[in-house]
Amino acid sequence: MSMLVTCPTCGRRPFTEFSFGGELRDIASPDAATDFARVYLRDNAAGPQQERWFHLLGCRRWVTLTRDTGSNRVEA
Amino acid sequence: MPSLRLDGRRIDVRDGDTIAAAAYRAGIRTFSRSLKAHRRRGLYCGTGDCANCLVTVDGLPGERACVTPARDGMKVDRETGWPSTDRDLLAINDRLHRLMPVGFYYKVFARPRWLWPIAERVIRRATGTGTLPLKAPARRMATRFVRVRTLVIGGGVAGLAAAATAAADGSVLVAEERELGARITDPAARETIARLAAEARAAGAEVLEGHTAIGIYEGPATAVLGRDELVEVEAERVIVATGAVEAHGVFPGNDLPGVWLGRGAAVMAAIHGVPIGDRVVIVANTDEGQHLADAIRAGGSDVALVAGRVLEARGSREVSSVSVLTPEGRRAFACDALVLSLGWAPRDTLLRMTAEPEVVGAGDVTSPGRSLADAEASGRAAGRGDPVEPADAGPWPVAEQDGYVCVCEDVSMHDLEHAWSEGWTSSEILKRYTTATMGPCQGALCSRHLAEHARAKGAAPAARGRTTARPPVRAPRLGDLTGAVHEQVERRTALHERHVAAGARIDHSGVWLRPGTYGDVDGEIRAVRERVSVMDVSTLGKFLVAGREARMLLDRVFPLDVGSIAPGRARYLLALDEAGYVMDDGLLAALGDDTFYLTSTSGGADRMEAWLRNWTDRLELHAHVLNQTAQLGAINVAGPHARDLLATLSEDDLSRAAIPYPGHAEITVAGVPCRAIAVGFVGELSYELHHPRGRSIELWDALLDAGAAWDIRPHGLDALDVLRLEKSHVYLAQDTMPDDHPAKLGLDWAVATHKDEFVGKRALERMNALPLERRLVGLRFDGPPQRGYPLAADGVIVGRITSCTVSSAAGGPVGLGWLRAIDGTFPSVLRAGDVTATVSPTPFYDPEGVRLRG
Repeated sequence: MSMLVTCPTCGRRPFTEFSFGGELRDIASPDAATDFARVYLRDNAAGPQQERWFHLLGCRRWVTLTRDTGSNRVEA
Repeated sequence: MPSLRLDGRRIDVRDGDTIAAAAYRAGIRTFSRSLKAHRRRGLYCGTGDCANCLVTVDGLPGERACVTPARDGMKVDRETGWPSTDRDLLAINDRLHRLMPVGFYYKVFARPRWLWPIAERVIRRATGTGTLPLKAPARRMATRFVRVRTLVIGGGVAGLAAAATAAADGSVLVAEERELGARITDPAARETIARLAAEARAAGAEVLEGHTAIGIYEGPATAVLGRDELVEVEAERVIVATGAVEAHGVFPGNDLPGVWLGRGAAVMAAIHGVPIGDRVVIVANTDEGQHLADAIRAGGSDVALVAGRVLEARGSREVSSVSVLTPEGRRAFACDALVLSLGWAPRDTLLRMTAEPEVVGAGDVTSPGRSLADAEASGRAAGRGDPVEPADAGPWPVAEQDGYVCVCEDVSMHDLEHAWSEGWTSSEILKRYTTATMGPCQGALCSRHLAEHARAKGAAPAARGRTTARPPVRAPRLGDLTGAVHEQVERRTALHERHVAAGARIDHSGVWLRPGTYGDVDGEIRAVRERVSVMDVSTLGKFLVAGREARMLLDRVFPLDVGSIAPGRARYLLALDEAGYVMDDGLLAALGDDTFYLTSTSGGADRMEAWLRNWTDRLELHAHVLNQTAQLGAINVAGPHARDLLATLSEDDLSRAAIPYPGHAEITVAGVPCRAIAVGFVGELSYELHHPRGRSIELWDALLDAGAAWDIRPHGLDALDVLRLEKSHVYLAQDTMPDDHPAKLGLDWAVATHKDEFVGKRALERMNALPLERRLVGLRFDGPPQRGYPLAADGVIVGRITSCTVSSAAGGPVGLGWLRAIDGTFPSVLRAGDVTATVSPTPFYDPEGVRLRG
């Protein structure tokens, strides 16, 4: 498998330079009840999904991008 | 004259010979025995597409004799047949074959079960090709990563035309399996290739000869295998121009030695000058018949050229006659070689491997059998990025009632019929049940026959397609695939050479190399507890966190009351994840109001950086995280005389007023600027000296020199493990589990629950409302304990020992372990094998912490 991820500072780079940070989620929950869903439940979308990627072997910045989980196509 | 040895027999080698050419000239006709029936198999495709001529070369199996250059002194062995390929007693299988239809093994050996392992051993000995050289050292292959605009696979007419055209649009790489123009018998084609190669190179295309694309993966990423390197090509588009080979004819006797595909026969005759037979019959339904006849005649054979349908070939050891249904009727020819050019089988395996729109075909692989001009036009269109015309695979030979469909796996038309009658009625299922297309040639010859068979039997459209192709197209060696995997990332501290020189045992600790012990663990422990010692702790994660919202960031992320840390002070820090579980621990030192110095565990440094950067980003705070792990060294000076030692090397104030516990100060030690952090991991008075890495050696040497007055000695990881356990400090991952919240570890004191918000707070609230079902406890034992041992209460296993040691400072064997509650209470006396364990208060050593406050 291979794909290219567009990093705002480094341009299009192989995805093996990045580490995957999961689906884009809220950063806080108003209460403990909704927190459970925020922490544990994922959409696991078949199709375009917003994700966080960390350019570990590059500029070490995080990027939010949209990846189609069916085709692995990444939009910048 | 140069020569090679084939099964011990000396065979002359002429300039330009392949192994097959030299052997064929010497009269070798049988190159292998077939997989199941042990039928004789000779040279067939002659172009590296089929598996008939796989031989072992200098101990390495699976080399294609027809394309592997012969060298003087080469040792070649045929791989199949017992006792030899020429005289194979297992050829009896050919007689029995009808008794062993496809699926035979599955059915016959289904019951009794004990029989199969025995039968399997016998079957494996009788089948298979070659023997893996298990003791041969793997070659070291380099892996190279290349990114180009266009990758062209195949350096023929279409491929080079595509490359020459695509070069106007960006970088181009051409991967050609052999040398450009090698083994092309048609002079016009050779000239075209030379012209296009010059044009492509002039336009800037790079051509890699001797490089085979073995698979196209998502991306598209292409694995290209050279002799000494594996090239991983990331291309924005891929043009597959791998050409075509003659279609495989299926008729009785189609696998006899002496039956050839056309282009390979022409190469043998015209390039190698080896006549393929005395009387050759060419059956050609393509327009290459006359060219083949000329080439083969030039080799010195009598040639008869006919068009028609091959009904049957006969012969015992080799082909001796053939029946052809010509427009004039059925005709029989005596012959000693039969050459087929019945249609085209595009080498489209790479194209069938991917659905990526960036991967297109050009030339023969999409529309075989066209003229050179057509191939060039097709390549140029693909190079420009024009839409690809729909595939036209040209004529295809009808399969007769009998004959081998899959030559690699010995699957005959009877087998396909048999499987169909058993209900395996789609091409994909036929493939799996009969294993047709699954041999070394990966369906190059038979894939389309399988699909055509399903179509002829009336399979539904979805069930009669070409089967999916998967990498690799060509068999790589295991060593090829492990290219560069041998590389192991190792990080060394600046003091590594000092540790080695001191005779330390060096351990792998994550990616770091660290001293385990300098030879005397007890002596190292005593130095720390009684005198003074140093340890290289440069591997700790070290971060500068600064910016006007740095304090806000740290307070929002960590469960620590960051607001309460005054500049000059330091605090133990837990990092929780969003589920409230302990992710890492470390120390946070306030350098100023908006500048902080953070340390993490050695293994957690990368994760800590990513974690902090993520939160800085998501919270949109004005803060910067600088990872100083590689920039700074750190030496922990520990022991009752730690301050005395530093006092001999520093003029700075080292009193508790100047460096409080826990706290820090900037001091100069032996001329080296250090951030001294007073910490307590080993439970004695200690100072972690963080300093520029380039000065580590200078500082280390000065400390050891001055420390001689107290008989200083450095300690390693083994001593540290005992020292920290005496203080019952946990090692994350060894003592903890992925779902530990602080209360389970007894670390709830490190969580400022009164804070409004920190990562994991809601989850902690949720978990803290539940009864504690598991916790880490200190244990004392009445005998020597063993790590990992289960802990039992009244015969029921309720936990296990995660760390233990026999400690004089702690007054006997102690350890840490997990316990789960039984009916809401935790047992206090347990059995661990032959030893009794009693839950004990912690720390085991200096519980009041008098010594470390010093």
